[in-house]
Amino acid sequence: MQAAQAGDMRAYERLLKEITPKLRQIVRRRRQFFSAEEVEDLVQEILLSIHTVRATYDPSRPFMPWLSTIAHNRLIDSARRFYRGKSNEIPMDELPVTFADDWANIENEGYRDPEELKIAIKGLPEGQRKAVEMLKLREMSLKEAAVASGTTMGALKISIHRAVLNLRKALSKE
Amino acid sequence: MDTDKLIAGLTEHADAVRRLPSPWVRTASWFAMAVPYVVAIVMIMTPRDDLAVKFTDFRFLVEQVAALCTAIGAAVAAFQSIVPGYSRRLLLLPLVPLSVWLASVGEGCVEALLRGGALQTFTSDFLCIPAIALVGALPAVAMTLMLRKGAPLWPYTSAALGGLAAAGLGNFGLRFFHGQDASLMVLVWQVGTVFMLTILCGQAGRLFLDWRPAIARARRNLAAH
Repeated sequence: MQAAQAGDMRAYERLLKEITPKLRQIVRRRRQFFSAEEVEDLVQEILLSIHTVRATYDPSRPFMPWLSTIAHNRLIDSARRFYRGKSNEIPMDELPVTFADDWANIENEGYRDPEELKIAIKGLPEGQRKAVEMLKLREMSLKEAAVASGTTMGALKISIHRAVLNLRKALSKE
Repeated sequence: MDTDKLIAGLTEHADAVRRLPSPWVRTASWFAMAVPYVVAIVMIMTPRDDLAVKFTDFRFLVEQVAALCTAIGAAVAAFQSIVPGYSRRLLLLPLVPLSVWLASVGEGCVEALLRGGALQTFTSDFLCIPAIALVGALPAVAMTLMLRKGAPLWPYTSAALGGLAAAGLGNFGLRFFHGQDASLMVLVWQVGTVFMLTILCGQAGRLFLDWRPAIARARRNLAAH
């Protein structure tokens, strides 16, 4: 970082490339319910944060506490954004679909080949797959699944929603 | 955007940056900038007539030293709060002189109440609010500009500490031209104003300490290249 502060582009690139897997690991561990895309977005945000405040690094002090403070601060910000988004959502009862059009009655669509569905579930990201297994296959309640997986009910709802979308996309391709 | 591409973009145009001096050095710079202004305001407002006598008043000296140390401690803590990697416990640094200040003023209040008549002499002194704000104005502006150069890790805390530093210095300057020494009056109008300004500054933290504009600027720079 000291070299990077002095304008050494190669050293800076090497440093960012070295810390990126560590950041990815931290984000994945702390945000288990995030999809791979969301993890990558947050990693990029942390890298941009590091870039904007690289002048604050003091070479006489250790680098890792400097880095982890920024990473954890950005993780907290992302959690705040997530919960703020959740608090703006209005929970509504699921209303029955009233239109006759097939596309409007997606709840009734049947997956003809269970094997295809199994393969599609296996292809889901880990968080989404676990959500499907617990909530749909083992028919656990949201509360039970949240306790079992160590995540929140909100996170599980998001995971299952994304999983259903991904499954629908995967099965419609086939 | 792909992360590898982002890294390539960030490093390709990463110029050398001027390293931020240590919080202590920055506090010294801030203090050196603020003190001439405080002295100028005291001179413009005309120092109180009994200033020479006040320099022999132990309580006045303790409270002034404590107010000054609170301002300096808060400034050090504010500058530390915008540098990643420091322990958050260091943010409690101004609490030591602040408790001395409050203890001295509090002791004066208790004494006055036991003597009796303290409440009868209690009057409104709204002048303290604009006066402390005036003396602390330039230090507050300087503090804001200096804090913006760091990482906005805890915007409300950093801003409140910066506000405490400026308001503490404001109160330190005020007592050189404002002849109000009754402890209860000092506690309510002066210390009260310092706390009020600290809270107001803290609430304004997000206005000038936020990751989003800096990140957006970095993204714009990336897109421009």
